[in-house]
Amino acid sequence: MRNPQGAVSRRGLLKTFAAASAALAAGPILGTRAEAQQQSAAQQSAPEFTGPGGNPYWTSVGPYATYPQKAPLILLTDRPVQLETPRHFFMSTFTSNEAFFVRWHLPNIPNAVDLKTWRLRVEGNVQKPLALSFPDLTTRFRSAAIAAVNQCSGNSRSRLQPRVAGGQWGNGAMGNAVWTGVKLREILDAAGVKTGSVQVQFEGLERGLGPKGLGSNLFQKSLDLSNPVIDECIVAYSMNNEPLPMLNGFPARLVVPGYFATYWMKSLSAIRVLTAPDDNFWMKAAYRIPDTPRGATTPEDMKSGKVSTIPIARMPVRSFLISPDGSTKIPASFPVRLRGIAFSGYAGIKRVEVSTDGGAKWTEAPLGVDAGDYSFRTWSLDWAPKAAGRYQVAVRATDENGNIQPDEGVWNPGGYLWNKIERQEIAVGDAG
Amino acid sequence: MRARQFYFVAVAAFSLFAASGLYADFRAGDYSKPESELMRQLLPVSASTDSMYDAGQYPIYYPELAPGDGKDDVENHCELCHSPRYITMQPVMPAQAWADEVTKMRKTFGAPIPDDAAQRIIAYLGSHYTPETRKR
Repeated sequence: MRNPQGAVSRRGLLKTFAAASAALAAGPILGTRAEAQQQSAAQQSAPEFTGPGGNPYWTSVGPYATYPQKAPLILLTDRPVQLETPRHFFMSTFTSNEAFFVRWHLPNIPNAVDLKTWRLRVEGNVQKPLALSFPDLTTRFRSAAIAAVNQCSGNSRSRLQPRVAGGQWGNGAMGNAVWTGVKLREILDAAGVKTGSVQVQFEGLERGLGPKGLGSNLFQKSLDLSNPVIDECIVAYSMNNEPLPMLNGFPARLVVPGYFATYWMKSLSAIRVLTAPDDNFWMKAAYRIPDTPRGATTPEDMKSGKVSTIPIARMPVRSFLISPDGSTKIPASFPVRLRGIAFSGYAGIKRVEVSTDGGAKWTEAPLGVDAGDYSFRTWSLDWAPKAAGRYQVAVRATDENGNIQPDEGVWNPGGYLWNKIERQEIAVGDAG
Repeated sequence: MRARQFYFVAVAAFSLFAASGLYADFRAGDYSKPESELMRQLLPVSASTDSMYDAGQYPIYYPELAPGDGKDDVENHCELCHSPRYITMQPVMPAQAWADEVTKMRKTFGAPIPDDAAQRIIAYLGSHYTPETRKR
């Protein structure tokens, strides 16, 4: 059979495709690497829940959600609102207001506040009760500012084994801001604390629907007047030099530097001087930790009833690797910059050490700008892994008091005080 | 003739490579990831200039609860104080842990749940949200 000039016979076409298919199947051709022919790694959505093992992800697994004045954040719950900050927002010393995590306890939280009628009442065992307006706060008192980390007591709760009920936070229930306002001490002095006072109680605008006198009706927190932290507290009307987002406690919230966020009352409406220790649910029953080293205990010891508890207070030292986050493969010999943050509720950060072999050898990482003892402290370390492989990058911080992060987790029924050394697997590829 | 045949083989082979997204040293053109849900942007609000500072409404993202006996009781009683995301957000837990949670809601927080409804809620959570039973 003769082919007409320029035409392709059926047989010729088949032969052509057969040749091409064979070439494809043969693998490396025209310099194509076998690896490039593999299917993309299928990228999957996060699961809808975790457990019974610990949550293995940096943040909780919830979907992103949009809220007023907020960037898309990770949704834990919608009523009351609990939102977690995604990892990449922690690249800098300060956390932007739009990304700052949100945690409320009771369903009726403020959507709107009228500053014409809003007052901060200072009452109880004082010589002169006050009702301070917003301009009173901003103009009648000297302003004071502090950089301080606000971290939920239950941050990283989803790591605990066995798991405990509660907000299943990953690591993003924390943030750092410059808080500007009035020193609590100046407000107390203006009202005149009378003798016989033992505690000062804080109350905000949030309300619940439970019976009066129970924790489901009202959220209140108290601090001992003899606690030195009282002199560091600020009633903040400014967060990163902006008004507080409604969901972060507009128009003013308490700042308790070094302490967990449970004391940082949002949408503050009352400061009450007490003559007896506060025995409301949120002090007597909730937010308590075992009176043991690191607040650690076991489910068995809790059940036995032998474990005595104390109110949660200062935040143990922590540090995090923020970038790279494991989603980017690093070519061998590539000089990658490891970056992260560290903080402690007890003192400034003295040292951050990084290990790229899971914790066998440690290298000190240079620290970033010092914005104060209670602030995030950034760190960074350049690293050029020599060979392809899976590397365990670990980071641990030491504060100026000598507190160092342990390599053990912690368990207590509230799911508080997690500060185990963080690890991140980094894939280093063959660079060709 | 031989050269012509080689030409056709080369063109066809190249077309196949292009269609498969396989080039000499990279792979491209794979848009096959299943569709993800999109999130609508929130538009900026035009704030008033009076003394009212209004952030607007907060959204409810209602989760899909497992179908089954007791789901109505969860909706009728638990949602007084919190949305069902407080259930779906939790890790999988043993039935006893769920029973303890319901007891805590009633005794500690004063949730007005009658005994029979509480029993149905405990049975519902203990049969759909444990390590063995939770589907989504």
